[in-house]
Amino acid sequence: MIKKIAFIIRSLPYKTEASRLAMTHAIASQTVEIYLEDGQNVEPIVALVGDGVMNGLKSQSAKCYGVSTLEQHTKNGLLLDLPIMYCKEDVERLGLTEDSLIMDADDLGGDMKARIVPMSEINAALATATHLQIF
Amino acid sequence: MKLAVFKSDFRTGGDMLDRLSAEKLGIIFVGNGIYHAAVKDAGAADPVLQKSANFYVLAEDLEVRGFNASQVPGNVKVVTYDDVVDLIFNEYEKLVWV
Amino acid sequence: MGKITIGAFPGLVGSLSLDFAVKLSEAAVKKGHSVDFWVSSNGTMLSKKGQRAFKDYSVLYKTLEELFKTGRFQACACEACAEARGYHKEDTMDGWIRKSMDWYLASCYNADRVLLIGGE
Repeated sequence: MIKKIAFIIRSLPYKTEASRLAMTHAIASQTVEIYLEDGQNVEPIVALVGDGVMNGLKSQSAKCYGVSTLEQHTKNGLLLDLPIMYCKEDVERLGLTEDSLIMDADDLGGDMKARIVPMSEINAALATATHLQIF
Repeated sequence: MKLAVFKSDFRTGGDMLDRLSAEKLGIIFVGNGIYHAAVKDAGAADPVLQKSANFYVLAEDLEVRGFNASQVPGNVKVVTYDDVVDLIFNEYEKLVWV
Repeated sequence: MGKITIGAFPGLVGSLSLDFAVKLSEAAVKKGHSVDFWVSSNGTMLSKKGQRAFKDYSVLYKTLEELFKTGRFQACACEACAEARGYHKEDTMDGWIRKSMDWYLASCYNADRVLLIGGE
C-alpha cells in the first residue's frame, strides 16, 4: 500500500532551516522502504505556498554560506520524481513567472516537471494525503 | 477531510490558515496562539474566530500567559492536554501546526 | 488505542514548542496510545545527555525518562542533524535512537496521526 505524505512549504529559505528540512525529509522517501514491509511505500507531495514559493527561484547562490541551495534541492526532488506544485495565486502575487522558477531537472536528466496550480488544486491533492506537514 | 490546525503563534501563520480548506476544520490555539482567543485587539474579536471552524484553546497555555477560561469567547472551548489527545484521535484525521 | 508520530524541530532552549510536544506525548501515552517522537534540526538537543536543570530553562529529560519506561514511547534523533551540531552517539541520552530521515517517514507511514512541529 502506498501512502501519500504532503510536505507543505510556507517558509522563506535561508533564515531558518525549515524549507530545507522539508525537502530533505521528502527526498528521504527514496530510502524509506528499508523500514517498511513489502508493498508498502511513501509517496511524497511537495507544495510550495505563500512565501514558500520563493524556495523555487532560479539563480540562487549560497556560496557565501557554503551550503547547497534550495534551488538544488528542488531540482533534486524533481530528479527523484517528486511531484512539486507551486501555488499559482502566490506566484502571481509575488510577481514571479514560470520562467523565474525551477520547473524541471532537465539538465540533470530528470523527467518530472513542476506545476504551477491554483490553491484549490493543492487542497485537492492534500485531501488525498494520509498525513500533512507544514514547514 | 477532517483537519485540526494547531495555531501556535499570534501574528504569523494566518496566511496558511486562510489557504487550507477542510470539510471539518478545528483550530486549536496553543502557545502564543492563545492570544487569538484571549485578546480583543482594538476592541474587536479576532478575525480568525469568524472562520467556519470549531475552536479550542489549551488551558495551560492560556493560564501561563495570565488569562483564564472566563476571558475566552463562548465559541472557544477550553481544553486540557487530555482533551487534545481525544480530539486528535477521535475528531480529526489530519493535523498541521502553524 | 492509536499511534501518533510527533516530529519536532524547535530547539530545547529558546522555544517552548518542544515542551508542547513532550507534554502531548505524555498525555497520549497516559491514555494508552503509543508515540513515536522524532527530532530534527535544533530539536536534536533534546536527545543530548547530561542536561542540567535551571530555573530559566525547561527541564524535559525527566519526563522523557519516565516516558521511556512505559514501553509505549519511542524517540529518535536525526543523526545528521546531531552530528552537524557536534554531538555524537556517545553523547546521546539513554533510551534514544539515532537514525536518518527515512526512519521518520516510515514511522509516519505506520502512524494513525502525525503532527509535525516545524517551521520555527
